[in-house]
Amino acid sequence: MKTFPGFFMPVLALAAFAFVQRAGSQSDVIAVRGAKIYLVSGAPIERGVLIVRGGKIDAVGPESAVSIPQGARLIDASGNVIIPGIVDSHSHIGIGPRPAVPANEDVNEGTGPIQPGLRAMDAIYPADPGIRMALAGGITTANIMPGSGNVIGGQTAYVKLRGKTIEAMLIPDTIGGLKMANGENPKHYGRENLAPMTRMEVAALARKEFIKAQEYKRKWDEYNSKVAAGNKEAQAPERDLELVPLVEVLEGKRIVHHHTHRADDIMTVLRLADEFHFRVVIHHGTESYKIASELAKRNIPVTLTITDSPGGKLEATQVDLQAAAILDKAGVKVAVNTDDYINSSRFLLREAALTIRGGLGEETALRALTINPAAMLDLQNRVGSLEPGKDADFVVLSGSPFSVYTKVLETWIEGEKVFDRSRPDDLHYATGGFQVTDRYPRLTPTVSGGVQ
Amino acid sequence: MRIFRTPLLTLAISVAALAQRVAVVADNLYTAGGDHQDGKPGLVLIEGGKITGVLEGSKAPDGYERFEAAYATPGLIDGKTTAGISGEYNITADQDQDEATDPNTADVRAFDSFNPAERLIEYINSYGVTTIQVAPGLSNPIAGQAAIFKTRGPQSAGMTAEQLSLKPVSALVFDLGESPKQAYGRRNKAPGTRMMTAEIIRKAFNDAQAYQKKWNDWNKSDKKDPSKQPARDSKLEIVSRVLQGEVPAMFNAYREDDISTALRIAKEFRLKPIISSATEAYLMRDIIKSSGAQVLAGPTLERLAQLETMNSTIENPALLADAGIPFALMTGYESYVPKNRVLLLEAGVAAANGLGFERALQASTIDAARILGVSDRVGSLEKGKDADLVLYDGDPFEYTTHVTAVLVEGKFTYRRE
Repeated sequence: MKTFPGFFMPVLALAAFAFVQRAGSQSDVIAVRGAKIYLVSGAPIERGVLIVRGGKIDAVGPESAVSIPQGARLIDASGNVIIPGIVDSHSHIGIGPRPAVPANEDVNEGTGPIQPGLRAMDAIYPADPGIRMALAGGITTANIMPGSGNVIGGQTAYVKLRGKTIEAMLIPDTIGGLKMANGENPKHYGRENLAPMTRMEVAALARKEFIKAQEYKRKWDEYNSKVAAGNKEAQAPERDLELVPLVEVLEGKRIVHHHTHRADDIMTVLRLADEFHFRVVIHHGTESYKIASELAKRNIPVTLTITDSPGGKLEATQVDLQAAAILDKAGVKVAVNTDDYINSSRFLLREAALTIRGGLGEETALRALTINPAAMLDLQNRVGSLEPGKDADFVVLSGSPFSVYTKVLETWIEGEKVFDRSRPDDLHYATGGFQVTDRYPRLTPTVSGGVQ
Repeated sequence: MRIFRTPLLTLAISVAALAQRVAVVADNLYTAGGDHQDGKPGLVLIEGGKITGVLEGSKAPDGYERFEAAYATPGLIDGKTTAGISGEYNITADQDQDEATDPNTADVRAFDSFNPAERLIEYINSYGVTTIQVAPGLSNPIAGQAAIFKTRGPQSAGMTAEQLSLKPVSALVFDLGESPKQAYGRRNKAPGTRMMTAEIIRKAFNDAQAYQKKWNDWNKSDKKDPSKQPARDSKLEIVSRVLQGEVPAMFNAYREDDISTALRIAKEFRLKPIISSATEAYLMRDIIKSSGAQVLAGPTLERLAQLETMNSTIENPALLADAGIPFALMTGYESYVPKNRVLLLEAGVAAANGLGFERALQASTIDAARILGVSDRVGSLEKGKDADLVLYDGDPFEYTTHVTAVLVEGKFTYRRE
């Protein structure tokens, strides 16, 4: 940070402001009791108590072991299930709009394949319905990213799904990741006889850019060491908005989030990561199960997008529900994402449940929605499990996390309820129909009921 | 446990099963018809591709090979899909569902695009889908003729459309709403507005009425002067068959007002329409109910990308059921990833969101068979019907349950390893 003070200041200042703004409502103490609590950091508690203070988890444990502080607001969640707030490691909500009309569409800057200077935060629309739909699905934290139409798509934003401004949404002290892509999507330039037209050029463009960043970093390192040595004549290199984020990648401060499907494309990513020593998360990773050992030996995690059927594009024809189980068995850290709007954020629990259908253990499936994606965003010390000191982000479910019959009842972010299914206004973000709440018919409870 | 693509093994099993009398024994047997009490233990006897009996309990008669399952249901019926005419690669080479060169392509038949070797057919069969209505669309106000096929897993690839066919012409498809005006309006061609889409459809019916009259007159005449015989017109011919009630009119519409347009045209030309997709049907249940229209409710797991699907609700099937509107479920068309919705997964979401287990099962089996006009062959497990069954290791609609086997006409088309 010392290297580029000018660049960071605005982000930090605004984040600090947002924190102060929220602090007032977080000062009270809340005790949620009676629910089965999945901590993720430890074994589930059958009847637990969760104490929230100042937006953080103060204590969590069995009813018998945790005393409820005087004056705490009591919330009875008996018969329900609590899981940590879900972390979506790959989302386009607020930037890929609902409805998807060109006026609001800001995912892909399709005017050039190298766009490291772009920031998702400059296009995220906090009032987009997609964000409230995500809350209805229990998502509390998201990595909102530019699209996969470019080799380097831009800077991603790590956000909490609350607040009226992007500044209030951004997680303090985070700078986001870098979106990159290979395979079919960036090749769209080839249709207009522009580069890249082939996978060779997709890789070459990425290499060229990182080599430039290495050169740029070397200049700054030289300058900084001159300054450190007391050289007052030292001339600072010119600031380059495109190369700054790439230097952050080279320095390990910014993680590369790489869209890639086919096994050979994933290997190309690993080749780049080996050459430039950057930290990378494989996104989608459709064929990652075919090269699980390559990922395992480099300790590179995969965040999967689970789709209902194969195809839609060639690089997505080899999808296999067993991918998560195969990767897990090979020792690869796995997450499940929405890629919203490929999958609706309302159904991320469902996507993880489908990995169980494909052989993944339930406990790992829950980790794939919480602590694993948190780690892929360097947020594992803040979110992803229910532990004292972490943000009080949690979801109240009506039943087992992976049953089709289970409903998200409430979603909480930092001690504030941000979704409540019992409120009609919220309900229709879960069911759909939120634009027509005033004339949405009342559903008579079904006679035959579900077989559960 | 490969989820799909195990042709050799599956073929071998089906050959073995062919020669035998088979009894499917289920702890929870759902027949969606007949005397069996759904959900109780029972068994289905199969011989020669047909169901020869449904018995209570779990004791199979001698001479039957037993196959056991926690749950068994009739083969699922997808009310409307593009599987088989819109391939998984999603490239020009395998997209044959949308003849967007003329707003009236009444004469095109899904049957002539249908590719039995399309791998999506094998895929959906592995999720229990054994019958599909395959419909063209979505750009043309008059899109063409739908057809109904069986899906036979990996065996489909070795068969012809004729061999898989249940009904070569099952409906004439009309597309309303955004798609036609976007496909043509952008090229400065008609239709550029919803007004013109309606007009194109009305004109075709109007012309068909005149065409029909000409033929009626000719048929009533002494037919002595061949020069007076009307010329055949393949478009007007099929539209005439719709007017005569021989072929159902299937209007694909999402928004309320587009559904209203479909009902308006149907009333004008005295049609009993099927409304497919019907995203906003739940907002106009009285109108649909009194119109007598039947509904194929579209997938609710689809992307809410377009304006006309913005009000999609996962409770649409439940709300239609509540109002007593005859409906079934369909998966429709997907333009990107994933390339196909899966009826079983759609039915599960409907079941869990107000429809309930049994109604969701009916909406994906017998009710679909009735709306598609094929309930004499499929849709329920009853004596004399085709032996199309799905076996599961748990509640069929649970995300974590597996389809363990699928039978079509008594042959295994899928078995989980």
